[in-house]
Amino acid sequence: MANRPVLAPQLRRLRRELFSSPGDGVLSISLIVLIGLVAIGFLRWAFGQASWAVIQVNSTLFAVGRYPIEQQWRLWLLTALLAAATGLSWGLLRASPRPDRTGTLWPRHDRLAVVILVLGALWLPWALRLAALIQLRWWLVVALLVGCRWAAGRFAAVLPSALRRLVPLLWPALYLLGMVLISGGLGLVTVPPSEWGGLLLTLLAASFAILLCFPIGVMLALGRRSDLPLLRWGSVLYIEFIRGAPLITLLFLGQNILGFLLPGGLAPERIWRAAWVLTFFAAAYLAESVRSGLSAVPPGQFEAARSLGLSYGQTLQQVVLPQALRVALPAMVGQFISLLQDTTLLSLIGLLDLLGTARTVMANPAFLGKSAEVYLTLAVLFWCCCAALGLGSRALERRLDPHTIPSAT
Amino acid sequence: MSESTSETMIEAKEVQKWYPNGFHALRGASLQVNRGEVVVIMGPSGSGKSTFIRTFNALEDFQQGSITVDGIALSNDLRHIDAIRREVGMVFQQFNLFPHLTVLENLTLAPVLVRKRPRAEVERQARALLERVGIAEQAAKYPGQLSGGQQQRVAIARALCMEPRILLFDEPTSSLDPEMVREVLEVMQDLAADDITMVVVTHEVRFARQVAHRVVLMADGEVVETADPETFFTAPSHERTRRFLEQIL
Amino acid sequence: MADTINALSNETIPWWRNRRVIPLLVQAVVALVVLIMIAFLLGNLVRNLTAAGLLLSWRWLNQPAGFDISETVLPFNAGLPYWRALLAGLVNTIRAVLVGLVGATVLGTLAGMASFSRNGLLRGIARVYVELIRNIPLLLQLVFWYFVVFLSLPNGTAAIQLPGLVLAKSGLYLAGFADGLRWVGPQLVNDVWQAPLRLSVEFGALLTGLIVYSGAFIAEVVRGGVAAVPKGQWEAAASLGISWITTLRTIVLPQALRVIVPGLNTQYISLAKNSSLAVAVGYTDLYSVAETTLNQTGRAVEVYLLLLSAYLVLDLFISVLMNGVNHLVQIKER
Repeated sequence: MANRPVLAPQLRRLRRELFSSPGDGVLSISLIVLIGLVAIGFLRWAFGQASWAVIQVNSTLFAVGRYPIEQQWRLWLLTALLAAATGLSWGLLRASPRPDRTGTLWPRHDRLAVVILVLGALWLPWALRLAALIQLRWWLVVALLVGCRWAAGRFAAVLPSALRRLVPLLWPALYLLGMVLISGGLGLVTVPPSEWGGLLLTLLAASFAILLCFPIGVMLALGRRSDLPLLRWGSVLYIEFIRGAPLITLLFLGQNILGFLLPGGLAPERIWRAAWVLTFFAAAYLAESVRSGLSAVPPGQFEAARSLGLSYGQTLQQVVLPQALRVALPAMVGQFISLLQDTTLLSLIGLLDLLGTARTVMANPAFLGKSAEVYLTLAVLFWCCCAALGLGSRALERRLDPHTIPSAT
Repeated sequence: MSESTSETMIEAKEVQKWYPNGFHALRGASLQVNRGEVVVIMGPSGSGKSTFIRTFNALEDFQQGSITVDGIALSNDLRHIDAIRREVGMVFQQFNLFPHLTVLENLTLAPVLVRKRPRAEVERQARALLERVGIAEQAAKYPGQLSGGQQQRVAIARALCMEPRILLFDEPTSSLDPEMVREVLEVMQDLAADDITMVVVTHEVRFARQVAHRVVLMADGEVVETADPETFFTAPSHERTRRFLEQIL
Repeated sequence: MADTINALSNETIPWWRNRRVIPLLVQAVVALVVLIMIAFLLGNLVRNLTAAGLLLSWRWLNQPAGFDISETVLPFNAGLPYWRALLAGLVNTIRAVLVGLVGATVLGTLAGMASFSRNGLLRGIARVYVELIRNIPLLLQLVFWYFVVFLSLPNGTAAIQLPGLVLAKSGLYLAGFADGLRWVGPQLVNDVWQAPLRLSVEFGALLTGLIVYSGAFIAEVVRGGVAAVPKGQWEAAASLGISWITTLRTIVLPQALRVIVPGLNTQYISLAKNSSLAVAVGYTDLYSVAETTLNQTGRAVEVYLLLLSAYLVLDLFISVLMNGVNHLVQIKER
């Protein structure tokens, strides 16, 4: 025993995880071989057979669709503003101290995220063979993001708290500004929705629905838990009806029947019809998440607030909803992630979202048989967006978590 | 019932309450509480004590009888209900602190929103109240980070911050660990010395003996006996009270 | 009024401050607004449909459909009426849902159990599977399976041949009983595969996509259910010397089912609804038949009503079934 070599902790861990018994060892080795074969096969395909020109040539199409080139500076401006807002929020979420605890400027995962971001910004524009000027723009956008992240983390403590409270309001303000920048008006040339496409349309539809389904969903959830039978049954009927139907049949309703339901000429543009359908669809699911959050708030909270003289509205706004929404946050972000994914269904009703654009690209004889490259790229893109949403939600959750649940007994 | 020597703060007459499931919780309960008085309500569980004091600030409604609080008749008029809730503070068995707000924010929320007082002034008062209940150093913490006794003292300070004329206590020490009961009772005893009117539902016999002006026994939704503490614990006039005292003493 | 707080003062309260009046008022206003909206929409609908000459009628259901459905369980040809076409579509949907349910449950349970394995690598793979699949849109996965995987399968002798199963671009060929009780495998006849059971690649792509996607969600449901079983149960079993897999199978899973079954219900219903994406891979399900029917007849409202009620009934059917299972599981608990 004395001669037995002392294993390093990592090795010991590896041994415990992979080779705790002979059967385990055989399983582990065969899995490693399998993973290796798949990885080698994939790498050989990706760097040998695959031809990525289809992505390089069409990268602008995938990003913004047929948005006129001379107006694209507006989108760059919006991207820069979004990067700044993301950096600020990120810094405040992760690095600024709360009254009851201190924070570090760069937690380990944040350092990792920055490294990935910077490497991505250096590699991706180059890999897409973008013009030097456009590559430079992407570098500046990422530099702005990281810079704002640093500044927010570094100086948040000295900012007055009133100013810090304004940061969440930045997002709706930015959204409205973004709508103007994208669609025109207020002195800008109008770009009709039919010319929006690709990632732009996907993100626009998703964010529109996310933003608007939130108030509707909260109202439905409150309605479903209301003491008033008419409101309760109305909400139940709506929620269950929407949740029972596949999204595509609802989009079908929006495209084919909405025109009959409204007076002639009043039906909105196809893209907006779809965005509204997504909104009302998502609201029903969101209502269920919020409802579970509401039922997690003990009735004593309501009683305490009322006995202090708070009105019904104040009680909801100050006491019940903040707690309910914090509980519901993971489920709500889950809904938002699936909403982002559901925008791909727009391609089935003939809109040119990311997937719709991909289909038109592959219909081009020049890119025949390149579907693997295109779909893989889209998958990576969606995966990154959804994973980023998930990470953001977890950071927000930790930020809002008041440490421990109050001991009720 | 003791004759009113001073101003009447709470007057409940023949209050009847049925729960939606048909349970007859209050069967003609009556009580009169004077300004500055400390009234302790005792009674077996299920006797309607909690339900009774919760009708005083309209947390529970009732079907028959009448309640007047500080000269305001409790009715379906929302303005009266709001007025009464501003005058009546309540401390709950489960503390019911707002877990998403710091201790200080728990105290300042209602005075700023309901009484529309300037925040800075309310914060000064809140810190003074936290000092008084002995937890000034915890102002920036969240309720979940405090012990049960500390939480209940915060809850008392929160009720006081609205400057109520009446404080209702609904079994304030029943969910506390034994070693924390004393710190809460001491705060309550300290309050009783002021001229604030207190109605306390509790099982703490010592508190009732030392602090209460009057002790009330409730059983089966009725007020059975009202007496000064000495008489109540040594020479009760009702058989029901004697049986109850035998069980708890 | 015997049930008011104070009968005397009740008469003098203005209605806008009365605790009893306000709830009634709120409901009345909401009901009024909703009714007006419905009346407005229905009014427009009737007016617009009348103008288009499409007022609600079901007679067109008996007219010949005039289109063919490539793959049906119920025999169908272009000469049969629309209602037969829709019925064939519904049966196709049910077929996909049923096979999908079984497959997704098996895959999901395996992946969910793997996430509790003692082997770190297996745990990692289960984790990656779930995180990968849940963050990529189902529709994208379906078209990937169809256009990238199934449509690039070779034909003839080059087809992928497994025991009892041949994967070719012309379809999936499964072994089965033929001519009574003879077990027949897939055979190549004149460069064309023949087998007792042939599935189209469209159906194959749809099934693969649905199973892989729902499997990831079911894995999470299973994982959550197992995690809800107190750790003490594992420790108690380990102290009795029961192996990991036996503990999971005989002690933990029966308890976890209480949490798992309601979660499964949700996932099954969403699988049923997701099967409507079949239209993207060319499998003729109910939605796809409905779309064709609409394009030919213009009967949007009728087609829509049929479509919606079919899915609602399907959901309801799954819910009733799962409630039965739930009942069974909860009783076992005692």
